[in-house]
Amino acid sequence: MSEIAFPFLGTAFVVLVVLPACALIAKALLWTLEHVETRGPLHGLRLRYLVLTGSSLLPLAWLLSAALHQAETGRSVVSCLFDHDTAALCFEPGLFTALLSALIVWSSVKELRHTRGARPSSSPNATALQQRMVRIVSTRWELQALAHSIYVTDELDYAIGVQGFLAPHVVVGLAYARGISDEELACALGHEAEHVRARDPLRYLVLSLALAVNPFGRQWLQPHATSWLAAREAHCDREAVIRGAGPLALAQALIRAARPGVCPAAALGARSASLLKLRVEMLMAFEERTPTRCCHREPSSILIVAALFIVAALLPHHAGTAALDALHFGTEHALHFFWR
Amino acid sequence: MTFRVRAGKKGIELRLHELEAAIMDVVWRKDLREFAVSEVLGVLEKQRDIAYTTVMTTLSRLHDKGVLTRVRDGKRYRYSSKLSREQFLEATARDVLDRAVGGRQALVMLAEKLSEASSSELDDLEALIRRRRRELGK
Repeated sequence: MSEIAFPFLGTAFVVLVVLPACALIAKALLWTLEHVETRGPLHGLRLRYLVLTGSSLLPLAWLLSAALHQAETGRSVVSCLFDHDTAALCFEPGLFTALLSALIVWSSVKELRHTRGARPSSSPNATALQQRMVRIVSTRWELQALAHSIYVTDELDYAIGVQGFLAPHVVVGLAYARGISDEELACALGHEAEHVRARDPLRYLVLSLALAVNPFGRQWLQPHATSWLAAREAHCDREAVIRGAGPLALAQALIRAARPGVCPAAALGARSASLLKLRVEMLMAFEERTPTRCCHREPSSILIVAALFIVAALLPHHAGTAALDALHFGTEHALHFFWR
Repeated sequence: MTFRVRAGKKGIELRLHELEAAIMDVVWRKDLREFAVSEVLGVLEKQRDIAYTTVMTTLSRLHDKGVLTRVRDGKRYRYSSKLSREQFLEATARDVLDRAVGGRQALVMLAEKLSEASSSELDDLEALIRRRRRELGK
């Protein structure tokens, strides 16, 4: 009985105590970061992203790596899991790893089911639009990077966005592109080019998964994530203008993209237009005075998250697994206490 | 148009009422660096019936709220804006972002589709952009 106490109770402790505690600390940190930033909430986005994602991913990386480290017996972890007679020590951390991994995979799969991009089309109309965009891109230096990464979809409700976690590309809706001028389309592409440069689909996915694996992530961190996502959109507007997009044309393209589609909006009535108004007003301010870049180019936040993830995974192998031992003995003592 | 501003670390909360916002719009749009009441009145008079004393009082209120600074120039004051329109909007952005409601999917879209209820607001925004384009001759 006590052999399986740690894997089950330990996993429950991580899910019900460790991760919520991390989410609470992250919430306090985010609140502080958002309020001490004197330049306004559109700044300091990188640090906020690191707190949002790191608060769930780093403890999990450490715990999984520490448990695997304890399960090491010179054989593969999989064989260790099924042959615990000869390796009593390896069974418990091995099963703990398996349970925790199963929970992570389950919540990630559940999250990924919501993610559905638009399908590219190769109809004659789509081909004609593709040619129009090739012409637009070829005449603007700031869009050259998108030369081979623009696709067209004929899904009616799709306006324009970026898809592809590893090879991000812009997808433009046929109906949307028909309703706007070349200048507006070029400005919208300029905005999306910034998302492509920053690999935002991957960043958003990591953020989404980080919130999903934490049982209190959605409840406590989602408002901060939504605010971060909104600020990120405003940041991309600014970058597009700095790189040559016309502020008013981009504002017009934004409004066209926000127009209700054939299908009702996903959260009917819940989304207010105030964020769109803010972005439009900021673009009108850029028309009066060209914005300057808010911050120096620094390493991408996804690279920083990846580096921190690796450090967290390597740490138990070098600095020991005392915290996991404490969790292990703590759960067994708790079981003895309640079971006697 | 209503704004809330928290200027600086003191967390001063300000609210701009319709006339205050209209005056600040004139100041930013015309890029008035240092101006007297009469200069704002000259622009506003073309848009609405408004008295000198109304503009004077409103400018004084904007100064009290910390949006404008002023220096005495003989018998009158000359005002200047403490913030550019962009800085002002960034300062007000927190309120908007705090209330932001968004999708949870990992999709990157130019703008989220709004509901039918927001159509009139979109019309207003489009009209605003058209007006600005006409003013700029674009």
